[in-house]
Amino acid sequence: MIAFEHVTKRYGGRLALDDVSWRMDEGECVVVLGHSAAGKTTLLRLVTHETQPTSGSVVVGTFRGGRLSRGHRALLRRTLGIVYEDFRLLGDRSAFENVALAVRISGRFADSEVVPRTLHALEEVGLQDKRFSLPSELSFGERQRCAIARAIVNRPAVLLADEPTGALESRSAGEVLALLLRIHREGAALIVGTTRPEVADALGGRRLVLEEGRLREAARDDAHLPPGAPAWAREPRRPGAEGA
Amino acid sequence: MHLFFFREAWRSFNAHRGIALTAIFSMTAALTLCGVFLLVSHNAQTALQAMGDRREMVVYLKDEAGDAAVKALRDKIAQYYGSSTFVSRAQAWSEFEQQVGDPELLQAVGTNPLPASLRVKLRPELQNFAAMDTCARQIESFPEVEGVRFGAEWVRRLDTLYATAKRAAIAIGGVVALALVLVVYNTLRLSVLARRHQVEVMCRLGAGDHFVAMPFVIEAVAQTLVSALLALGLMFALQQALAPRLQGLAFLPAPWSVAFVAGAALLAWLASALMLTRILRTVGP
Repeated sequence: MIAFEHVTKRYGGRLALDDVSWRMDEGECVVVLGHSAAGKTTLLRLVTHETQPTSGSVVVGTFRGGRLSRGHRALLRRTLGIVYEDFRLLGDRSAFENVALAVRISGRFADSEVVPRTLHALEEVGLQDKRFSLPSELSFGERQRCAIARAIVNRPAVLLADEPTGALESRSAGEVLALLLRIHREGAALIVGTTRPEVADALGGRRLVLEEGRLREAARDDAHLPPGAPAWAREPRRPGAEGA
Repeated sequence: MHLFFFREAWRSFNAHRGIALTAIFSMTAALTLCGVFLLVSHNAQTALQAMGDRREMVVYLKDEAGDAAVKALRDKIAQYYGSSTFVSRAQAWSEFEQQVGDPELLQAVGTNPLPASLRVKLRPELQNFAAMDTCARQIESFPEVEGVRFGAEWVRRLDTLYATAKRAAIAIGGVVALALVLVVYNTLRLSVLARRHQVEVMCRLGAGDHFVAMPFVIEAVAQTLVSALLALGLMFALQQALAPRLQGLAFLPAPWSVAFVAGAALLAWLASALMLTRILRTVGP
């Protein structure tokens, strides 16, 4: 479904990703774990084709990277659901209008379907009562839930989330993670970029650890990690594991 | 979906009224300038046409030309050049008498020296200096004809004046069209930059250029329509103010007014549709 083959990305002289190769299949959950500036956002931006690799290739579904035309990039993004750390909601329109915009952009639904689809998505994230509120009238957690509603309203095959809990306090973060997990269990593939190991713990799935632009797949067992691996890359022991 | 684009355009207008009003003001100024020139051109054309309508050729007949020969000549002229009116020697003298008016002077002339003539109203396509000159030489070669006169110098000046007015109209029209395109381009750029965040978000959600651009195009066309109507209103006010002093100054006929508004809107649509993809490329991810 998504495949990176020897992808390197440079921003001028700075190396963001270095010979990264990985792939994920339909319905899989992948957590990209790494410290700040490790290349997580670049990796996600390569999936959405917001940026192009310096070398190597990125394949997303039937879209094989290199330089996609603007039209093809738009088509690709319509197959994805994207959640940003800073929500990227439009401040001059209500939660309902923000979500409805994604339905209209998809071009897959008739005008008469826009309202029920949007209301259903808002209901899924528990924001049906706040549908007329502007983003500035919502809490951070509610804004992120609104962004998730916008990402899932078209039922994408892949949901990408870049630091989905970065701006949230722990209770809202927990709610958002539970929501992402529920959507994943309903069938959507999930890619989450995060600096927080506890996010990876909550979501489970496969971990990709990024360090200074280099990727290695974290094993479930700490013993397989190379010596000196950072603490946040280690698989936390599950409750009860000690006794086993 | 179409209603959605119109709502988006209205939302943008409301959110950035300053930019929209500046654009309307600039375009109204450019279009008024164009419209005033159009008004002058229209009145000049009307005046030139009226003068052109009076272009006639006088064919003087030989005294010995009989009625049958004159009739044959008139038939030939009707076939190739245009309609003709026969003026007998007596009619010519009578007209001369009316023009001179002084009986003593007329008595000094003595007998009627004026020849009979044909006043030829040429077909419209022959009413220019080159064609009239050719016609005059051809008619002059007929045996019944003594000579031909059509005020060559006057016709030549009229033609030059008409051609100059036409060239000036095209040049000024071009300059104003360019000004309009520049105003539309800069307004669109400002609008897109003012809504950069929105454009970025839409592109990230997978909106194509058409989806993102449509509200901007609608906004640009609507602003141009309002500007064109305002310009038309200003021109009407100007014409009403000047009409008492400049006799015969007419406002643009309805088809011209409609063409003026539609032309401006069409230009705005073309300019915005062509330039938006370019502008969006600098903003969208």
